Amino acid sequence: MNRYLPLSILALAILAFATLMLVIAPGMQIDARSVPAGLRDYTEAQQRGRDVYVAMGCVYCHSQQPRSPDQAPDGERGWGRPSVASDYVFDAPHQLGTMRTGPDLLNVGARLPSEDWHLTHLYQPRAIFDWSIMPAYPFLFEHKQQAETDDTIVILPPAYAPEDGVVVAGPDALDLVAYLQALDRTYPTPTDGLRDDGYASGPSADASSVEEGDG
Amino acid sequence: MFGRNRKHDQPRPDENFEPYEEFSGIPMPVYWIAIALAIWGALMLYDTGKDVTLAQDDRVEDRAVQVSADLGEGGNLFVANCSTCHQPDGQGLRGAVPPLAGSEVLGGGPDIVARILLRGIDGPIRVRGEDFDGHMPSFASALNDDEIARIASYVTLTFSEAGTKLDPSRVAKLRDELADAGSFEGGAELAKLATSMSPQPLYPVPKMADAMTATVRDLVFVGRGDVWACASCHGDLGQGGENTPRLAGQSADYLAKQLNDFRDGTRNNESMQIVAAGLSDAETASLGTYFSTLRAPSNASPNLSADLARGEQLALRGDWALGVPACFTCHGSSGFGVAPDFPALSAQHAPYTATQLATWAGGDRQNSPLGLMRQISQALSSEDRRAVADYLASLPPVPAGQTASAEEATSNVN
Amino acid sequence: MSTDPKAREGDSKGGKHTARNIIFAAGGGLALVALGTLAVELGLAPTWLTGEPVQKTAMAEETQHNLFNPPDPADIPDDEFGAAVQRGMAIFTNTGTNAADHVGNGLACSNCHLDSGRQPLSAPMWAAWVAYPKYRGKNKQINTMEDRVMGCFSYSMNAQGSPAGGPPPHGDDIYRDLESYFYWLATGAPTNVSMEGSGFGKVEKPEQGYDLARGEAVFAENCAVCHGPDGQGQKDLNGRYVFPPLWGADSYNWGAGMARIDTAAAFVKHNMPLSQPGKLTDQEAWEVAAFLDSHERPKDPRQTGSVEEARKAHHDGDETFYGKTVDGRLIGVGVQASAAAEVPTED
Repeated sequence: MNRYLPLSILALAILAFATLMLVIAPGMQIDARSVPAGLRDYTEAQQRGRDVYVAMGCVYCHSQQPRSPDQAPDGERGWGRPSVASDYVFDAPHQLGTMRTGPDLLNVGARLPSEDWHLTHLYQPRAIFDWSIMPAYPFLFEHKQQAETDDTIVILPPAYAPEDGVVVAGPDALDLVAYLQALDRTYPTPTDGLRDDGYASGPSADASSVEEGDG
Repeated sequence: MFGRNRKHDQPRPDENFEPYEEFSGIPMPVYWIAIALAIWGALMLYDTGKDVTLAQDDRVEDRAVQVSADLGEGGNLFVANCSTCHQPDGQGLRGAVPPLAGSEVLGGGPDIVARILLRGIDGPIRVRGEDFDGHMPSFASALNDDEIARIASYVTLTFSEAGTKLDPSRVAKLRDELADAGSFEGGAELAKLATSMSPQPLYPVPKMADAMTATVRDLVFVGRGDVWACASCHGDLGQGGENTPRLAGQSADYLAKQLNDFRDGTRNNESMQIVAAGLSDAETASLGTYFSTLRAPSNASPNLSADLARGEQLALRGDWALGVPACFTCHGSSGFGVAPDFPALSAQHAPYTATQLATWAGGDRQNSPLGLMRQISQALSSEDRRAVADYLASLPPVPAGQTASAEEATSNVN
Repeated sequence: MSTDPKAREGDSKGGKHTARNIIFAAGGGLALVALGTLAVELGLAPTWLTGEPVQKTAMAEETQHNLFNPPDPADIPDDEFGAAVQRGMAIFTNTGTNAADHVGNGLACSNCHLDSGRQPLSAPMWAAWVAYPKYRGKNKQINTMEDRVMGCFSYSMNAQGSPAGGPPPHGDDIYRDLESYFYWLATGAPTNVSMEGSGFGKVEKPEQGYDLARGEAVFAENCAVCHGPDGQGQKDLNGRYVFPPLWGADSYNWGAGMARIDTAAAFVKHNMPLSQPGKLTDQEAWEVAAFLDSHERPKDPRQTGSVEEARKAHHDGDETFYGKTVDGRLIGVGVQASAAAEVPTED
């Protein structure tokens, strides 16, 4: 019991090293990135929509991190180019997610920009995709006999439309859609974009093998 | 007695059993595993680290190529961007593409060439005594200021007497000035700038007004009952995004055919099937006509990180070793399409093109004539599909139809 | 303590061996996995294991044999000879512009000699280059390559309807450039041999003969989508031919090899529909070839007297409709080629 001192020093040194390598160094690396030229901060409505996104637990089924072509064909799915750290500069906390029960949403605003489409889809996903397993969110909407002047009416196929009256979007639904429409990171990858490409076999290697293949 | 009894007892579990490891050495295979794992781990770390650095360098380099001022002389750019139509020797194509060599237009110097590159031409033009239809795309979205300046300088220096060097800053200024100018209305408008030009044919009255009926306007911008507005996904100018296709300038017959195919289930897409189900034959036809008359700048970019050189090879020359002819053999020079069965491909969004090629290969999309696209898609690897999609996305849009600004189009609604 | 050590050893011996075997197996397996992963990483693994299988189209299958491989256009030398090769290639692919004075229709060499004259069984130029000079029954004399190309201009390119009114004269630069291109394409090829993949191949005349009505059906099903329901080809929005016309004033004339049914059938069988050669049976190839060669096209420039005289002199036989009567119409009189000299501009 007379070797407390070296033991504590060693323990603290290990802790300090880990903190430096796992917290401080990556933090500095990320802080050095600038805000991409094509990225705007969220508006108030979009920010409220983001809170709805968090509250509804969208992140449990939807990721927000398109991957590189070497890892998954996300680009061909229309989910966008591989994301880099600075794409999330206005996201606190980020909604990266780990589950892909549904499609990645980081660029949903670019590939599905339609407000009307999103309202229909949130009200009843099965109205569009009969195989969809996404839950419906009818409680974000209101069933009215008569739409008022500034109401947004939800377009519904006859099978899902109410027998009388109309379905109009509630404020949360509109905010959520505003947020989804703002999810658009299709600007070019920033030159200082930070990304781990994992097991990417360098693009230069691919190019040379293609040239060899030419007849 | 005891001893005899003991002898007949069944052997009981040995309470003092010592694991044999205690007195036998660690087996050799364990050493091998440990060493193999260590080597594997070290190699992986080295390899991954190298790949990440490589990929990062490559991204920076790609970007640098796009923005770099040092692109060599304009000749390479001319060959890459102009020569499929105007030919490397600037002689054009008899009856189709005006020659640059000896063209009266070049009398206006590189300034007018830059203007043409930024705006494109859409109307009849007379060059060296011959009349041409005059459909040239706008390169504003495909080339940067520096590239346009280099090409303009190269073209006038090579093909005319009036050659001078053009400064990129001048192109930047022109780009701002001409942002909403639309394309040149044929040689008639060009002649106002280039006095060296001979009398030009008249510019015909635009057809867009005819296509823009009240029904079409509502369908495109407002939607109807159970049909979402076209523009809500495909954009006010039909420009699309990611895997929502660009429609602007696409052939009317092709668009109508696709809508009809969605309606009768020949082509699969849930959202489009809902939309098409609510449209009549007359409406699909007039929507096709409407989008074919739109001339929107390209918002597509090669964002699939694929090999553009390979894409260019497939599009321009094909890979006959795989039995794949050039895309442009059927889809027309520069991918502008050949109505009604061969759609325009240029400036189409890369994810859309790549997805469609994949669905053809997989059999989910089957509405191409003679199964041509199925066979060709299956011959392409996934890298090839991405490469060709990226290359097509980097091209200027189809030079057809009239330019309509978003405000103009939407203001028609009210 | 009191147990018999011998018994205990015997007991554990089995267990010990099993454990040892498991460890051996696991170790071996792991080492294999490690090696396999490395192989995949380094790109040594076969494609059937890593990548998706690529199904080559029928066109690739056709050329699977060990055929001659012409050099890559990227390897054209950067000197005076290379410049001639480049000019020759430009004439070959864009004949109507680069040899404008001598082309009287809407075709280019590369319309029938696919892939710029590189594709086997579409009369590749690397195979043609090593076969000349040779004796040809068509004009009953020894033909040099220049003579042969002159024939192409006269018939396939219908030079009689061109601004110059005839093929380029002997010694013209057009021949020099084209021959430079052919010579370069044949780099490394043996000379004075018949190379595999030369010409259009042969398709024997089917026993059932050929029938124009069936040919029309084959055409409508397989050809019309590209060449147009009227066989007049299709142009892009600038009026440039994307798909060549198969008959009429803008197509090859009656003197062209392609106007013979057997030649056209071989071309169709081995090259069409593009990317799907071999799709048509021999029977269908003959019938569709007969269908398109039963249509009127620019007249044979060798015809000086009547069609019947020209038929006797140049078109005797069962492989052409020249001089025969189809639907009460005499075939071979020719269509006005004057319209072809000036490609019409639309609207």
